[in-house]
Amino acid sequence: MALSNRERRRLSLGIQAGIFVAAAAVLVLLIDWAALRQSFLNIEPVLPMFPGIITTGLVNTLQYTAVGFIFGLLGGTLLALMRLSSFPVYRWIATAYIELFRGIPAILVFLALGFGVSLAFGWNLSTLQVAGSALAIVGSAYIAETLRAGLQAVPKGQVEAARALGMPAWRAMVSIQIPQAFRIVLPPLTNEAILLTKDSSLIFVVGMAGSAAELTKMGRDGINMYQAGLTPLVIAGFCYLLITIPLSLLARRMEGRVGSRASRKKAKKGSTSSPVTGGVA
Amino acid sequence: MSTEQPSEGQPGVAGVIIEGLYKSFGDNEVLKGIDITVNPGEVVCLIGASGSGKSTLLRCVNRLEDPNAGRIVVGDFEATDPDVNLDAMRRQIGMVFQQFNLFPHLSALENCTITPRRVLKRSREEAEAEALHQLELVGLKHLAERRSAQLSGGQQQRVAIARALTMKPKLMLFDEPTSALDPETVGDVLAIMRDLAQAGMTMIVVTHEMGFAREVADRVVFMDQGVVVEEGAAEQVIGAPSQPRTQDFLRRVLNPLGE
Ligand SMILES: Nc1ncnc2c1ncn2[C@@H]1O[C@H](COP(=O)(O)OP(=O)(O)O)[C@@H](O)[C@H]1O
Ligand SMILES: [Mg+2]
Repeated sequence: MALSNRERRRLSLGIQAGIFVAAAAVLVLLIDWAALRQSFLNIEPVLPMFPGIITTGLVNTLQYTAVGFIFGLLGGTLLALMRLSSFPVYRWIATAYIELFRGIPAILVFLALGFGVSLAFGWNLSTLQVAGSALAIVGSAYIAETLRAGLQAVPKGQVEAARALGMPAWRAMVSIQIPQAFRIVLPPLTNEAILLTKDSSLIFVVGMAGSAAELTKMGRDGINMYQAGLTPLVIAGFCYLLITIPLSLLARRMEGRVGSRASRKKAKKGSTSSPVTGGVA
Repeated sequence: MSTEQPSEGQPGVAGVIIEGLYKSFGDNEVLKGIDITVNPGEVVCLIGASGSGKSTLLRCVNRLEDPNAGRIVVGDFEATDPDVNLDAMRRQIGMVFQQFNLFPHLSALENCTITPRRVLKRSREEAEAEALHQLELVGLKHLAERRSAQLSGGQQQRVAIARALTMKPKLMLFDEPTSALDPETVGDVLAIMRDLAQAGMTMIVVTHEMGFAREVADRVVFMDQGVVVEEGAAEQVIGAPSQPRTQDFLRRVLNPLGE
């Protein structure tokens, strides 16, 4: 019996779903749930971790990441502009910086800041200062490349049209190129914020006071403190999701907003013509 | 101090003098000694085969390209003087591109107000009133809130013309403004350009629309491989070209299938 394309597609999807369900069922049957729960989701013994893991761990992770990201964004913007500069020395400096800090493990930067700085200058940096600047240094190298790619993705004709109208170069950059690049870089920038969130755990190599502990540190300490296997780390892991998932949602909303500002404005003014079909000559 | 010849045109429009203009991209010499004078209020159509250097010539006039040699004067500005205030000069030169180049993150209205507001420091009210006036003249006031993605090609090009005119330019440069348009929208754009010409604007128009050139151009310049081959009144250059290269080009444009 001959099948139409559509029927064949449906059949194939049905078979795929069947295989998937069967595999899941086998896994569920094979797994020793009791043992698993014992060492990964043994909640009762670790209940005393709350609310500290939120009020200290989550808050500290957020703080270190936010400081790192904000300064990383500033530094990254500067580096991206240097990379695009017509002055070769700026390009060389920016390229060298980016290659260095993208290339070495972030943990080395944490070590350098945590121990090197106090040895070299005798400064005593706080945990926030070490974590924030280490993340900013590493983050700015990645963010610079993202921003550069975004700026270059804006068609050349855009800046030419702006310059032809009489905008100075910096004004064309600020009003025309950067806003369009922003839309392009929003998804990869979100990605970098998420990576930084997780990298903030590297502060453990430097050590910190209990009040400065972030999520991973609290999870690791919890393993020794409670008889619950790795459950404290699993809890810490879920707390990371409490940061990263809302971040993704926020970014997605911002993307939608940048894209539809004009049509929303129109809707607010109560225009009745459809934005696509109405009044096209 | 003024290089404008007051014989033709109205006050507020600029003339253009191009003398001995050379431009190369690497080894590729694109303009090989161009001399063209455009009087204030005059409309000059530039015609010629693709690759003959028409766009490059236009882009040298507002210095989107840097010429290698030669002199360009636009109104009161020595365009080729290294110390010329390029931004101030460009504010007096409107440019319309083949691909429109509207700013896609802004509405039609904002496309027209951003430079007056951010560069000329006009108030929002003043800039919007002028922009709406210009959009009305191109028949698009009712679409002022739309973005370029929500406009047809012809509409985008009309907004681009309005955007240039909100700067009150003294010279307009058009680089194949209708070449990217659907045939049925070409007429709207050409009609706006004709009205602008009749209002006394100085215009240099690169175009393949021979009907427009015949009707509107005071002068037609035919370029080939970086040199001016022939120039004169439209009836003469298009109607009775004297140079074999012009005849050949026009034959191909007016009769693409060769019979
Ligand atoms: N930015 C550029 N870099 C290198 N070559 C260019 C550039 N712009 C134009 N050219 C070259 O200059 C020549 C003339 O181009 P153009 O002025 O665009 O011609 P036209 O507008 O008459 O078609 C072409 O050979 C083109 O490849
Ligand atoms: Mg061209």
